[in-house]
Amino acid sequence: MERMERLIPEIEQLFRAKERRRARLAAMPFPEKVRAVVQMQKMVAPLLRGRGLQVRIWEMKSIDDTH
Amino acid sequence: MERTLQVLNELERDGVLSRYAIGGAMGATFYIEPLLTFDLDVIVLLPETKGGLLTLTPLYEVLRAKGYAEEGECVVIEGVPVQFLPAYNALLEEALREALGMPYQATSTRVLRVEHLVAICVQTGRAKDRERVRILREQATLDDEYLAAVLRRHQLEGRWKEWSD
Repeated sequence: MERMERLIPEIEQLFRAKERRRARLAAMPFPEKVRAVVQMQKMVAPLLRGRGLQVRIWEMKSIDDTH
Repeated sequence: MERTLQVLNELERDGVLSRYAIGGAMGATFYIEPLLTFDLDVIVLLPETKGGLLTLTPLYEVLRAKGYAEEGECVVIEGVPVQFLPAYNALLEEALREALGMPYQATSTRVLRVEHLVAICVQTGRAKDRERVRILREQATLDDEYLAAVLRRHQLEGRWKEWSD
């Protein structure tokens, strides 16, 4: 019980940090969000392909897209 | 992505599409944290055909002629799989009519209003739509009056109440 009480403030702090991060991500300009989506696609694609799913990572060809 | 939007704008300018707007996960991403997706969902109003049939065939033919291949239910336009969804009911027609013009770098595009994205999720009603509504309510700034009117007009208040409990 004592240990739980000690952990709770730390966990609350983690949740608050998570919330702040999500708010920061939500406020990003859209092109940056698109880059984040492509990053996520790159991270997830090997897992999905390992499960037999065909997925395509978006190409970001233009100079503006790669900034 | 920018080039993909330019192609969509060209299709609209050339009359292949009457109007388009981004919806789905990328539409939501305009308003909230980035969501993982592999498709760009695009709601389209198609020009009327002689028989009054709602078909994507002419659009697909134009895209094929431009060298863009179909892949499953998408067409890969400049490296981005685009899924076209014709506005097949009153809610989607309204959402498309009232979509907002937005810039993407040097290119203008259109995105569904966040209230319509919410209403479409409520209408579609799957578990993942419910989860998306939760995130939109948490992170996006919703015009409550506008949303209430959309939900009322399209008889979605019941499920909205159910999901709000």
